[in-house]
Amino acid sequence: MSADHSLSETSAPAEAPSSLPSTLARYPSASARDRRAQLMRLLGTYGTIIVLASMLVIFSALQPATFATIGNFRNIINDMAIGTIVAAGLTVPLVAGDFDLSIGYVASFCGLLVVGLLSSSGLSIPLAIVLVICLGTIIGIVNGIVVSKIGVNAFIATLGTGTIVVGLNYAYSGGIPLQLTQSRQFTNIAIGRIAGVPHLVIIMAVVLALLWVILNRTVQGQHIKAIGVSPESARRAGVAVDRSRIVAFAIASTCAAIGGVLMASNLGSGQVTAGDSFMLTSFSAAFLGSAALREGQFHILGTLIGVLTVAVGNNGLAMIGAPIFTQFLFTGCLLVVAVALGGIGRRYGRG
Amino acid sequence: MAQATLLSLRDICRSFGGIQALDNVSLEIAKGDIIGLVGDNGAGKSTLIKILAGAHDPTSGDVILEGRPQKLSPPAEAQRLGIETVYQDLSLIGTFTAAENFFLGRELALGRGPALLRLIRRKSMGDTAVKGLDELHIDIPGVRSKTVERMSGGQRQLVAIARGAFWGHKLLLLDEPTAALGVRESREVLELIKRLTAKGLTIVMVTHNLDHLWQVCNRVVVMRRGRKAADLLSSGTNMEEVVAYITGAKAPMQTRSPIGEASA
Repeated sequence: MSADHSLSETSAPAEAPSSLPSTLARYPSASARDRRAQLMRLLGTYGTIIVLASMLVIFSALQPATFATIGNFRNIINDMAIGTIVAAGLTVPLVAGDFDLSIGYVASFCGLLVVGLLSSSGLSIPLAIVLVICLGTIIGIVNGIVVSKIGVNAFIATLGTGTIVVGLNYAYSGGIPLQLTQSRQFTNIAIGRIAGVPHLVIIMAVVLALLWVILNRTVQGQHIKAIGVSPESARRAGVAVDRSRIVAFAIASTCAAIGGVLMASNLGSGQVTAGDSFMLTSFSAAFLGSAALREGQFHILGTLIGVLTVAVGNNGLAMIGAPIFTQFLFTGCLLVVAVALGGIGRRYGRG
Repeated sequence: MAQATLLSLRDICRSFGGIQALDNVSLEIAKGDIIGLVGDNGAGKSTLIKILAGAHDPTSGDVILEGRPQKLSPPAEAQRLGIETVYQDLSLIGTFTAAENFFLGRELALGRGPALLRLIRRKSMGDTAVKGLDELHIDIPGVRSKTVERMSGGQRQLVAIARGAFWGHKLLLLDEPTAALGVRESREVLELIKRLTAKGLTIVMVTHNLDHLWQVCNRVVVMRRGRKAADLLSSGTNMEEVVAYITGAKAPMQTRSPIGEASA
């Protein structure tokens, strides 16, 4: 049943044609135009994966001793864990058809706040973390209410709430980084390992699994996907559209808060703007992921592939000694190409 | 034998700003009726359908469902009462399978509480949708696996109507069910409507195609300028007469329900 039915991301590769020529061969009578459409669909569906695979091959050939090692890949995955959590959270409102520009600022503020609470209030570590993550959830709910109930465009609304969060951040910190006073236990959350596996990687895996289940196996996920395609159709079918949008924003913001806490734990201090860059990297990853396996739809596994693509690219460029600016050029070009591919996949995927 | 009345509209008026979209419209819908609702653009057909669907409230007038005054809005209330609507744009989610569309908003799920904690039962939903379509003799491959955006327009229409018939145990409203379909696909849709009739479902269908109307409907209601211009049994009229009522070449009849006349 699972093979023929489920929208599950894991089963998608099973349907994937093993190679380009064999796929074309399945349509022997196809005209040149149909072939072009087929090719475009393949690019839109496998573009990001093709890029990722090519990079793995090229960098391994250029730097077999340093790039293609287990140690290096462990580093790559450990380094991308926090960004993956934030990007996967962002994927949920993107699936619902909404942008959330506030996630980076929420991550920064939550990272700073958890350090502040631990240093000055004497709260226990778990309580401080729970409080900060709840704050993230509340910010997401506010985003969702402003967007769905008040009807403000999500772009503008989350830009607004994000800026308010920056304001709160500066009001709390005065723009000065906060140092952890009692640090060991807190920093161990991000830095520690269980049986050789970094905590960050385990937490990333748990968050990804939870988000995947929510989107693909719960009623709420079904509704979030439906409103992303057609809010009006969903409403007519009885879906609580506003509530689904609010839940999606709440999930994104919660993940941003978790990312912020982990970042603070990893850095051992509260930095004022440490999480801001998550916004761009998360959008890049999600859009790259939309050109992976799904013809221009956002999905959790795709976002993971997106983060991995950027991380492998940047790591490989550093390994071959390319100057730092090439990493920005690479990420920027990749993003533009990925969005174009996703759009192509969508255009040729239907009809 | 007189048929039992399912739903009555009594002196329904509906205005939008200064525009009177419906002007004292009364309509008796008997159980098992297949009513073809016709009229020019702006004649009030879609306002009437939307009132039945619960998408609009009448400005004045009463809706009586099975003998009891009833408010049909919002649409979720009409649905709860067993009234389903198949809109012209079908309201299907393109990236969902037929089975998922069948159950959108009414998913079979494990657990209670918030939607976030209820796990959907894909297998049961797929089984039920396949069974539901089988019972209506609708043969569409890939009910569980194929997204509806990859289906033909006719298949999509069949899925949308089947979904409506599955949930709408009292009244099914169809908005232009054969518009934009080819000859063969239209025939399949009309045959589905006939099968639904045989199962005793009550249907109100808006259409521009009188030929299609004659193939399935037992009654014709003509709307003109917000009023009911004619209410005829299809067996007692012909296309020329209906067209005359639509264009206004024939003056509106003093509308009484033909059901009443027939049983009197």
